[in-house]
This record gives sequence, C-alpha cells and structure tokens, in this order.
Amino acid sequence: MSELLRIQNLSKAFGRREVLRDFNLAIESGRVYGLLGRNGEGKTTLARILMGVIPADGGSVLYRSRPIAFGDSSYKREFGYVPEDPFFYEDMTVRGLLAFNARFYPKWDRKRAASDLERFSLDPKSRIRTLSRGMKLKLGLAVALAASPEFLILDDPTSGLDVPTRQDFLRDVIRELAASGTTILFATHLVHELERIVERLLVLCGGRLILDDDFDKVKAQHQASLEDIFVRLTAGA
Amino acid sequence: MFTALYLKEWREKALVFFFELGILGLLLAAPFALRGKTDLQEWLVYAILLLFFPFAALILGASGFEAEFREGAWAYLFSRPIGRPAIWLAKLSALLSMFAALWLVFLIAWAALPAVRQITSGPRVLLAPIAPLTWSGFPWWSLGQSLFLLMVAFSLSLLHERHFSILFVALILGLFFPAAAWSLIISKTGGFMAWLAPAKAFRTLLISQVLMALAFAGASLRTLVRSDFSQPRKQVRTFVGSFTVFVVLAAAGTVGSALFIPVPAERHLDFMGSSDGKAVYATERGLFSYNSASGRVRWLTRRRSVIYWFSSIANGRLAYTVQNFESRRDATEEIWLSNTEGTGRKRLIGRATPGAWPPDDSVQGLTISPDGRTIAVLTRNAARQGKSRPSATTTLWTINSDGSDLEKRSLEALFPDGPEENLWVAFVAWAREGKVLIILKRHSIRPVHWSLWAYDLERKTASKVRDSAVPASPWRRGNSTPRDLLVIQNRYRDEGPRTLALLNLVTGEETEIAGSEEPHSFSAQWDPTGEKLLFFDKRPDPEGRASYFLTVYSLTAGKAVAERITTDLDGIVHHYWTAWMPDGRSVLTLDIKGRCLRILGTDLQNTGRIDLPVRIKEPSGLEVVGDTVLLQDSGIHSLWRLDLGKMRWKRLY
Repeated sequence: MSELLRIQNLSKAFGRREVLRDFNLAIESGRVYGLLGRNGEGKTTLARILMGVIPADGGSVLYRSRPIAFGDSSYKREFGYVPEDPFFYEDMTVRGLLAFNARFYPKWDRKRAASDLERFSLDPKSRIRTLSRGMKLKLGLAVALAASPEFLILDDPTSGLDVPTRQDFLRDVIRELAASGTTILFATHLVHELERIVERLLVLCGGRLILDDDFDKVKAQHQASLEDIFVRLTAGA
Repeated sequence: MFTALYLKEWREKALVFFFELGILGLLLAAPFALRGKTDLQEWLVYAILLLFFPFAALILGASGFEAEFREGAWAYLFSRPIGRPAIWLAKLSALLSMFAALWLVFLIAWAALPAVRQITSGPRVLLAPIAPLTWSGFPWWSLGQSLFLLMVAFSLSLLHERHFSILFVALILGLFFPAAAWSLIISKTGGFMAWLAPAKAFRTLLISQVLMALAFAGASLRTLVRSDFSQPRKQVRTFVGSFTVFVVLAAAGTVGSALFIPVPAERHLDFMGSSDGKAVYATERGLFSYNSASGRVRWLTRRRSVIYWFSSIANGRLAYTVQNFESRRDATEEIWLSNTEGTGRKRLIGRATPGAWPPDDSVQGLTISPDGRTIAVLTRNAARQGKSRPSATTTLWTINSDGSDLEKRSLEALFPDGPEENLWVAFVAWAREGKVLIILKRHSIRPVHWSLWAYDLERKTASKVRDSAVPASPWRRGNSTPRDLLVIQNRYRDEGPRTLALLNLVTGEETEIAGSEEPHSFSAQWDPTGEKLLFFDKRPDPEGRASYFLTVYSLTAGKAVAERITTDLDGIVHHYWTAWMPDGRSVLTLDIKGRCLRILGTDLQNTGRIDLPVRIKEPSGLEVVGDTVLLQDSGIHSLWRLDLGKMRWKRLY
C-alpha cells in the first residue's frame, strides 16, 4: 500500500494551550484509521488543519508526497470531510446544498447523492434549518460520499446519531467505503465504535500520538477491550 | 466554482437586495406624487444620494461574511476545494453587482427624468472645481462615497458575527477616514490646493479614498487568506496589522500623488527672464536655468508647494519671491537671490528679517538693477481703514545683493490723496545706470488711468514722468532701457487712438514713432544691441482694412526701415511670439497654423522656415537666448530648445 498522507512535526496552539505538538503520522491508502482521543485532545483541530480550515503553527503535511500549504485548495477535491458540528448554510435546501457542492468536485456522483438521500430519508426540498442534528450529519455524509473522495475524514460523526442509525452508519457505510478502497480517518472519543471497523489504531494524547499500530496487534498485545486499552494508555500518558 | 459561490451570495442576500430595491423604487416614485412640490422632490433625491445609497452600501457590505458567522458555516466553506481569494472575490463581486444594479435603476431614472437630472446637477455650482467628478451632472460623488462605505463594511464583515456592530463601525470608519484625509489635505496643503489648484484637493481626496478602500480590501483579503477563524482575536490582530501597513502605504501613495502628479491647474511653465545666455523658468517643481552655451538645464531650487510670483534677472543674477503654501502659517513671502547658473543662492528677506520689513504685507513687484547689485521691492499693505472703504499703501524697499542696507522708501509722492481703492503700482525699468527706477501707477480702473513715475534712488524723491502712458514692451524681456530710452504707449485708454513713442528718461524728450487709431498693444522689442525696435502697428492697409504691420524702427535712421503686413504671415496670430535672432538682423516668428518658425530677413521678408517637432502640440512662449531658440508647449507645459547652429530640436523639460 502506498503512502497517501504524511504529517510531520505538526503543531498548533490556541493561545497558550498547545493542542498539537510535534505530531507525526503516516497514512497509507485504502486503510481505515481510527483516531481516539479524549475531548479537547486535538482531533477536530487535526481534521481542520488537514482540510485547510485553520492554519497549523508549524510542521508540514504531504499528500501523495506533495507538500500542502495553507491556502491550497486543489487537493481538497480528493478529500471528504464530515465535521463534528454539522453547520451548513441554513437557508439552503438539501438539494441546493448538493447542487452547490457538485460544482466543486469533478468526481461528483449524482446517482450516489440521490441514493444516499433516499437511504438516509432526507427530503431534497427540506430547508437545512428544519433538519435535526442527526439529519444534518447524514446530509454531511451524503455530500462527502457524493464527492467520491480518496480520503475521508470523519470527525466524530456519530455522536449525534441515534443508535439504529449509528449502527447502520458504522456497519454499512464505513465498510462499504473501505471495500471500495477509500482511505478513512475516523476520529472519535466513543471508543467502542471503532472496534468493529478500524484497521489501524491511533491514540492522541497531550498533543501527540501515543499509539500508532495495527488494531489486531494492539488487541493481541493488550488482551483487553479497546476501552480498557484506551484508558490504560491515556492514564499513563 | 466561482459561479457557484457568486450565485450562493446572490441567493443569500436577495432579500436584502430586493428590500433595498423596493425602497429605492419608492423614493424615486415619490416625486411623481409630489408634482409641483419641488422642495420635497429635491429632499427626496438628496435623501437617495446622501442617505439611501450610503446605508444600502453599508448594509450590503456588512452582510459579506454574515452567513458564515451566523451559521458557523465558515469551517464548512473553507473545507471546500476553493481558494480563499476566490471566496473573497466571489462575495465582493456579488455585492458589487447588487450595488451596481441599484445604481443602474437610479441611472435609468436619472436619464429618463429631467427633474432628477436637474436636481442632481445642482451641486455643480458648488463643486465646480471637481468638474470631472460631476461630469454630466451625474452624482459621482455619491457613487464614490457609497462604494467606499461598501468596501469598508465588507472588509470589516469578516471580523465579527454581529451585523449591526459591523455596520456601525463601518459607518464611523467610513466617515472618519475621508474626513481625516480632507482635514489633513486642507491643513497641510490647504492654502495651496484650495486656492491655487482646488481640483487638486478634491483629486487628492479621491485618491486617498480609493487607496484607503484598497487598504481595507487588502487587509480583509490578507486576513481571510492567512488567519484562523477559530481565533477571533488573532484574526482581528491580523486585520489590524495588515490594515496598518496598507493604510500607511495608502497615505504614502496619497502624499506621493499630491507631490509628484500635478493637476493641470497646478502645472505651469513660466519664463522668468534671461541674462547672459541663460534663461530661467518657474515650474510647479521649482526653478530651473537653461544655459544656452552648455545646452544644459540646472535646477536652482526644487521646492514644491511654492509660488514664485515675481522675478527679475540682470547681469547673471536672479532675484525672486518665494511664497510657501505648505501651510497657512508659512505663507510668508521671502525674497531670494541666486546666480543664474545656480550658485550663490541665498535668502535676502524672510519672516525673521530684522528691521522694518513687514512680513504681513504682500510683495507687489520686484526688480534687480542692470548691474545686479540692487534689488527693489514694492510691498502693499491692504489693511482696512475706516469702516467700509478698503485702502492700501504701497512701499518701496531696496536692498543690496549681499543682503545689506534694507531700506524703506516712501512713495507718498505717488499718492497725494492718500490710499486709493484701485491703486496698483509696478516696476517698469531702471534708468540712468541704475540710479532711477521707472514705476507704473494705475489710478483707476474705470476709466482706466495710468501714469509713469521716476524714483531717484539717490535723492529719494519721486516725480511724474508722463501721464496717460504705459510701457509698450513686454516687461519681462528686460529691465534696462537702452540709451535711457523707454518705449511708451501714449494716451492709453480703453478706447481711442494711441501712439508709440520713445521717451528719453534723461532729457524728457519724446519721439513719436507710430500711431494707431484703435486700441492695441504694440509689443515693442529692442534688438540685442538696442539700436532697432520691432513692434506691431495697427492701421488701415492700402485697401482700407485695419491690419497689423510688423515694423522695424531704427534709431540711427530715425525712421521705420522695414515693414510688412502680418496677414501675409500665415498663421501669425499672437503678436508676442516674435523675437530677434541673435545676429540682431533677422526676426523669428512663430507660425502656429503652419507649425513652423519663420525667419524674416532685414526687410522682414521670409528667408527661411524651421518645422516644429511633431510632439509640440500647442507652441507658445518663443524666446531667443544665446544661440538657441526656446519654445514652450503650453498644452503639457514642456520646453523645447532649437540649436540654431545644428538646427536640432531637443526637449529640455
């Protein structure tokens, strides 16, 4: 598997608080990465830096060996992003948001967008402001998937979903994407959700990765549930 | 992608736009309902220009990033594959197109409704100096001001989520910056700009506003591209830092434009005189001297915001007045002396000059003696006396060229009845080897009444030389009187005949050499040796038509030795543009229609022709200095030189 993304010595601080410090990570294509971290550990910050939403204070990011500078936008055509807080333009309709996004992505899949709307029970005519948080998350996912991304960043997307939808999301959508070769970075603080889907486990603590290993290997090494492993690792950090 | 964003902005702001459009429609329709009530109609139109458009601009501008803030959608937008500059540009383009649409509606109403046109053209009287801005009576000023406000509000809109706060701050800043710029322009260079070149003050304000708008735009673009929306304080710091840099650049650009790009009204090129083969010119950039021997131009002074009202050249020395208009406080006239090659420049008289020199009086005339050793100055005190009748007293001063012996001399003999309302005096010439000054006095304007006076510097007395007489030669061509002979025009009145005569300033004898039935200027010029006089005479030709005769009078022969009707000289329309050639035998004339210089021989018949360079569009100001001919282009105020030896033209300035 080839290297898709390399993050080197990434750092980011908000005021005096260092959220990311000398963060290093290599992501290989076609794998599902689970990024675990407690609240406020920098998962969203990392996702936003990778998506060019906020600038890093230092370090570099290479996508397919090409450095990405803050302000570059072309690489984002191959990135999908489902943010933790599903903020869209509230006055738009579901269809309007899809049409708005369709212009940005050359590999936009209209059929997929339509089928996902149906699958998630989203009415194309609905105004976004009328949707619940869960529905907005589904809409965000539909937009991200329709863009046919090479690399999908899911920033704690399931936290607002009801249990059946979360099950559906984790079981079907992620697996489907993984099967199609899409690289996924699934950031969450809900440890148990990763258990069924991740191939490689990343644990973020104190602004650094304290674990970056194959999930099966970690499981075999620790002989415990993921939740226990996580608690053990972060308690010692 | 750009289109997607552009359309999104339109959709987002459509409600505001159509609301504003509706208000505009009502304001434009109201005058129809108020037919006959012109006052109210005017109020409504000015309400559109002074209130509606500025506030419409503020509301639109402040809504620039409102949606991104209101819904927290900035993270979503920035994660899309589109560059931030494109986001900024799409938003601004959408807002500008909405604003343009509003103005288009007004433009249509303005073009279709004469009443609106008439009202908006009203300020043209008040704002005449900014004619380019009020072209066709269209209220460009309102368009410019509201565009500025839109730019300010849009730039600030990415700093705060509250629309009203942005609107309020943008209004304050949008009014503060132009007001501050205007007060700076007025206080620093106000006298100069507002009085000498009013268009410059307005142009400078316009430039400052454009540059300030760009400073706001640049700061907002830089902030958007570089900063972190998740850290509002940091974002504000980035904006303030960028804006500080850009606004300093804008201020520098404004000052630079004011200093280095003169407006047409400010641009000038004035011949100040010539001596010993050197000619001196005054420009808006300073004074320069052209040396005909070396063919080089040398700047004597490069002071800007300065006016050189009076100057006089003799024996290689130049005396001139300097009035500095950089600020009102400094607007004191000074008197300077310099050698014409640029050396020995010194201030003879200034504000701090001790003695009786009155700094508040204005200089009315200045002349340097033929030997260059004495400078005479006329000052005028315009203080009011009594309750209503303004009066003035004029004083004569003399000072040596080394700055010594500043002496106040009384001219009371010229004013036996005390201060006069329309009094005006001027130097004419020096006589009797610099011992006597010839002064011209205007007694009244209607009827016009002049007299010539002689002031004896040794005896300190003034006496009348001739009544109803004025000098007949251009005063700047020389301040000496060859053989103490002064060429005068007698019986100088608004109407009626006048004569040209030679007045001997020693003996008082007068020799009439020409006469004219109609008022006209003889424009007499001495040849380089002071032996022959060239002038224009006006009298009937053989067919009885009033014609101008170019005439050469010889002192030796005691009569006119050559003459020709100037109508034969195609295109000679300006009497002043004739000059003696350096040999003192032939005469050079400027043929404007023929775009050439014509050389006239001793019999004043054509002997040669010199074509003008194509680049000279409006030739004027013909002077012969040394072995060169100097010609101005009054259109762009350039100076050209013709080397009479090589017959080559060269632009000097």
